[in-house]
Amino acid sequence: MQIESHYKKLTLLLVLVAAGIFTAATDISPLYVDPYKLEYPDYFGNRISIPEDNPTTKQGVYLGRMLFYETKLSSSQTISCASCHQQKFAFTDGKAFSSGIDNMRTKRNSMSLANLLWVRNFFWDGRAKGLEDQAKFPLNDPHEMGGYLEKAVKILQQTKEYPPLFREAFGTAEITSDKITKAIAQFERTLISANSNYDKYLRGEYNPTEQELNGMELFMNSPRPEKNIRGANCAQCHGTPKMYMELFHNNGLDTEPKDIGREEFTGMENDRGRFRVATLRNIALTAPYMHDGRFKNLDEVLDHYNEHIKPSKSLSISLKNVSNNLDGEKLGLTANEKSDIISFLKMLTDSTFITDPKFSDPHLKKVTTN
Amino acid sequence: MKKHFLLLGFLIASFTAGFTTSLSAQTPSKEAVLKVEGEVLKTLSISISDFAKMPHVEANMKDRDGKIQQYSGVPVIEILKQAGVTLGKDLKGENLTKYMLVRASDGYEVLFSLAELDPVFTNRVIILADKKDGKPLENGIGPFRLVVPDENRPARSVHEVSHFIIRFAKE
Ligand code: HEC
Ligand code: HEC
Repeated sequence: MQIESHYKKLTLLLVLVAAGIFTAATDISPLYVDPYKLEYPDYFGNRISIPEDNPTTKQGVYLGRMLFYETKLSSSQTISCASCHQQKFAFTDGKAFSSGIDNMRTKRNSMSLANLLWVRNFFWDGRAKGLEDQAKFPLNDPHEMGGYLEKAVKILQQTKEYPPLFREAFGTAEITSDKITKAIAQFERTLISANSNYDKYLRGEYNPTEQELNGMELFMNSPRPEKNIRGANCAQCHGTPKMYMELFHNNGLDTEPKDIGREEFTGMENDRGRFRVATLRNIALTAPYMHDGRFKNLDEVLDHYNEHIKPSKSLSISLKNVSNNLDGEKLGLTANEKSDIISFLKMLTDSTFITDPKFSDPHLKKVTTN
Repeated sequence: MKKHFLLLGFLIASFTAGFTTSLSAQTPSKEAVLKVEGEVLKTLSISISDFAKMPHVEANMKDRDGKIQQYSGVPVIEILKQAGVTLGKDLKGENLTKYMLVRASDGYEVLFSLAELDPVFTNRVIILADKKDGKPLENGIGPFRLVVPDENRPARSVHEVSHFIIRFAKE
């Protein structure tokens, strides 16, 4: 009995000593990370993507937010993710094409960063799988942030502030490009927009106006002129409370697209001019519209769907011969109906999302280099 | 001086970029294939021409307007057998929690349980069609579409099928 307990003490001592040597040698401090609770409404569903090797933690999210707003990640030291993804525009930048370092223009329109937790294939053409992978693209792109990631790793390592933040989030103060993208991805997963008037309506807390209600009906319905049902068929692609489905469609912008979209990535002709169906959440804040920012406002978008769909081999069949008139070829919405749909789209603006201090620039004091 | 070099570099870069895009638009694009993967003994990648050589059967379904349409294609079960999916006498125990995810090239996805496809369980024959009225399927629908007879909504009769993915349902 006595001996046994002595053995126990001895083993405990040995374990402690070993652990001590191990931590000293590898600079691994025991991890005390707190899980970050991602809160979202049930109607978004739980088909979310969080890789097993990058759980969302309070420490990781905070570090990610610091990095999202960090201009030291760009070769010119002037561009951060937030240059092209500004909170007040629902994380877009109000431009048709964004400018990166040295004012070089991006090939496509900046995308809103909201409810990315449910997205699996990122970018307008779906070429990046997962947020960790996605973040490498702007960081390595010569036009966006100047391909500066490996140097930025060294620069951040020299700062006073960053090594401790990496230690808190990942257990060691050693900074790697992998940890940078992991932390940014954690922050991006927290960008959840679910408090618009439409959400309040779904929760039974908001009474829509007559225009909003009519716009909602039109948005959700497919037109059935033989049954006197009027509709705009938008929900066919932008349906579900998330206001998008992860589908790639050619929505009739061009017969011969200059930007071939998903075809460039898949090599398949039937993907010509196909782009990911964009979320319509906060859409009133994210002009100009489409992958090339060709439409200045929502009126132009509605005119496009109603009157200017361009035929092509890959045009989505959900946009072919869909009409409110018997045997019609065009959608055939009235001017009032178009404006009602816009009233509904404005219901998707979430003012708490664009003012939430959790998502704002955390660089209150300047980071100094040793 | 430095500015000029930058400009020159930029011009060359944009020229080559334009060049590669026009090149890729001219090179014959990839042929569509059907991929069968996941919980299979053998992953398959079936081309349009190989598919045409497989034994075909006919199947009917109603389109959105309620009109009966006749298609020709290969029973899904035959394709899954080629891939070595647990069917017939092997479709029991935990294998009954397996499903087939059907994915289209536009990203659309629907699901069937394996038992819904196996003639040991059901007489309904679901086919992957490559022809309608003897002709290849039209753009946006073919080259392969699922034909699921006797369903009130055609939502599972997926267009432009690109993948059959077999998986275990994980609770
Ligand atoms: C120079 C402007 C610019 C900068 C800087 C930039 N982005 Fe972007 N971002 C874009 C553009 C443009 C797109 C769309 C590109 C495309 O589809 O080809 C995009 C797309 C994205 C997407 C895809 C969203 C979706 O729904 O698929 C994510 C996520 C994203 N950016 C995150 C980031 C992060 C994180 C950073 C910093 C590491 C960053 N961006 C820096 C311009 C920028
Ligand atoms: C066939 C599927 C489909 C249908 C139906 C459809 N859309 Fe779209 N929508 C898309 C795609 C794909 C994009 C992105 C296209 C691009 O940028 O090239 C898009 C983009 C948009 C955008 C711009 C998003 C942004 O961030 O720039 C708006 C606004 C929009 N759609 C509104 C509507 C409305 C309103 C309707 C109904 C009248 C509708 N859509 C019907 C597929 C569809």
